[in-house]
Amino acid sequence: MPIPLTVLETRREARDDRGPAAPPTEDVREKVFELEAAGEWLVQRVPDPWIGVTTKYGRTKKIPVARTWHHKSCGQCGHIPGYSTSIFWLIRKLGLDYNDPRDQTSCTAWNYYASATSNQGAQAAVAMRNFGAAYESGYFPMIHCGTSYGHYKEVREELVHSAELRDEVRRICDKLGKPFVMPEEIVHYSEWVYALRDEFAKRRVLDLSGIDVTVHPACHYHKLVVEDAIYDPDVYGGQRTAVVSAVVTALGANVKDYSTWFDCCGFGFRHILVQRDFTRSFATLRKIEVMQEEANPDVVLTHDTGCVTTLDQSQFAARAHDRKVGVPVMSEAQFAALAMGAHPYRVAQLHWHNTEYRPLLEKMGIDWRERWREFEDDLARLKGDPKAFLTWEDADA
Amino acid sequence: MPETVLVIGGGPAGLEAARAIASIGGRALLVERRDVLGGTPDESNYAALTPRMGSAQEALDALRAGVEDPAIDVRRSTTVSACSGSVGDFRVTLSGPTGETTESVGAIVVATGFQHFDPGRETQMYGYYEYPDVITLPDAEKMLKDHRFVRPSTGEPPRNVAFIQCVGSRDRRLGNEYCSKVCCGVASKEAIEIRRLLPDTKVYIFYIDMRMYGFWENEIYWPAQEQHNVNYIRGIVTEIVGKDGRLLMKGEDTTMGRPLEVLMDVIVLSVGMEPSRGTRDVAQILGVDQNKYGFIALPGEPMDVVTTSVPGIFVAGAAAGPKDLEDTVGMAGAAALRAVGTVRGLAHAGTVAAR
Repeated sequence: MPIPLTVLETRREARDDRGPAAPPTEDVREKVFELEAAGEWLVQRVPDPWIGVTTKYGRTKKIPVARTWHHKSCGQCGHIPGYSTSIFWLIRKLGLDYNDPRDQTSCTAWNYYASATSNQGAQAAVAMRNFGAAYESGYFPMIHCGTSYGHYKEVREELVHSAELRDEVRRICDKLGKPFVMPEEIVHYSEWVYALRDEFAKRRVLDLSGIDVTVHPACHYHKLVVEDAIYDPDVYGGQRTAVVSAVVTALGANVKDYSTWFDCCGFGFRHILVQRDFTRSFATLRKIEVMQEEANPDVVLTHDTGCVTTLDQSQFAARAHDRKVGVPVMSEAQFAALAMGAHPYRVAQLHWHNTEYRPLLEKMGIDWRERWREFEDDLARLKGDPKAFLTWEDADA
Repeated sequence: MPETVLVIGGGPAGLEAARAIASIGGRALLVERRDVLGGTPDESNYAALTPRMGSAQEALDALRAGVEDPAIDVRRSTTVSACSGSVGDFRVTLSGPTGETTESVGAIVVATGFQHFDPGRETQMYGYYEYPDVITLPDAEKMLKDHRFVRPSTGEPPRNVAFIQCVGSRDRRLGNEYCSKVCCGVASKEAIEIRRLLPDTKVYIFYIDMRMYGFWENEIYWPAQEQHNVNYIRGIVTEIVGKDGRLLMKGEDTTMGRPLEVLMDVIVLSVGMEPSRGTRDVAQILGVDQNKYGFIALPGEPMDVVTTSVPGIFVAGAAAGPKDLEDTVGMAGAAALRAVGTVRGLAHAGTVAAR
């Protein structure tokens, strides 16, 4: 019997012949609108223009292009500030309107996932308080943190299915003086990057064809409320979430596969708090070393705070044990910004990263020595005025 | 009043229903979307039937011979595109090679069957669309029909083969909470066939729990272990990834309570049953109720397993849910009897009324 060389293509064609299967899960967004019709809450519409993307079971999700309210990540701001700065830099490069609020509340999901502290009502109230703040601003919420994003989607499910919880949280929002609003979509920033990847590619100034990338999909992006994550037939045959990987390809770099892609980065929430050595071992032995052995990447890209931090900073300890580590880690937003000419220190702020990244910059064609000299000049200037800080004008100077 | 019964679907259920209708003096109009009769067992290259290993081809030939009867009008490459009227006087539009025709029939038997679960819907767990050596039960069946079992990626015989049970069945997350009934038996049958073909190949079956209905326990399950050394491991497989040109299977051995990671050469996904596209389409056209999974609903269960929500329309086989072949042909006979009885009962009532 001859072996078909196109066995996977044949399977995919046969799949098309079978016709679309009904999604196995309900579309919670329909319920969100039904509750609005019943007077239970307001629904904040995705503002025009938006881009339609395809989620796991073939549904369309609306991704707002502009007028976004940025729900930042505690860990990004605290550990890797170049992450959120790069997101804002990308938005500004496209000339889009956005809102960087100063009254955002932490989602508290880390406590919830790590140790089950807090309670259902408090968790949901924080989510609705933030959604209310976004609605009041007239901008649409966009979540930077993968955990906040996944958690808010779980909260949405709970609120949709529990009238008692809605009543409890509505009373809390009333006390806070916040409107009781559910957004039409819950959007992660990496979905926005995915939706606009071709716009970034048009503005790319570096040749990335020699850059090999391994991608770590964030668990709280694609494993919580799985049906809402983006999938694309052109990315691993639609079998893995397409965010990040599709961006890498659009920018002209090379996605490299490795066998432990589905594994957690090691953060683990509970582990990072109570078994940090487990986190470090997992991140380096199960992720970084496997990537090194199987794909030998120039950089690891991911799309969540904890993943960047864990994969990057765990390599420090493993290096002391002579493990095969030493791969720089950053978000796809930082990588896209660098590709478009962003300053590696003023914008991407790679000096906050732990693993050696300068060989990568050289391979990307970035003169990191000159950029560092510029940054040191900035620092010298800022030292003279304790109240001064770098501005967007500085970033693009 | 038309006495003809329309039978939709030319698989085992439809063939047996048409034969049964003719055998009791009725007339059948049998429509089949493909240009050959035999249904899923033919389309999916069934080799040996579970549990007794009889030839599927011979069994299908016998069913096909049963519809070579002047009382049965067989229309191949034909589908039902519209239906109006009611019991005793349905008018159905058929789309076939020569265009559309409209036929009058007194009753209808739906025998549109099932399709195998698409493992791609279990995204990122099994890699069916990523790794050629991850195959399904029907893929394995096709190779076994040719008396050869190899790694699709290399053409070489595998050293280690694993079956994963309940792919697309008993899965609340996917919405398919039901058991597909036949997969445990079919996987065990295929495992035996592989061991017969490749005595040096180790074969494992990873299961939630084995469901060997009726006599299958003694006819398949114990012989697989005791005579053919098939290894049954109670475990949950969470993921398959490529590693060093082979397949790394990860999961948990739930008996031992330990994680497992083993390298395999071929992994066979025991895909369950879902309503076929034909079943879904025909249910819409005829207006019969479907259950939450899309199969044709049976409001009279458990004692009436063929009557649908629409008077005069009956169902046979896996269009109504997971069925083995024994249940399928049994339902076909019952549906044929009910359909002919309905038409004749109406005719008799009309005759009495006219007197």
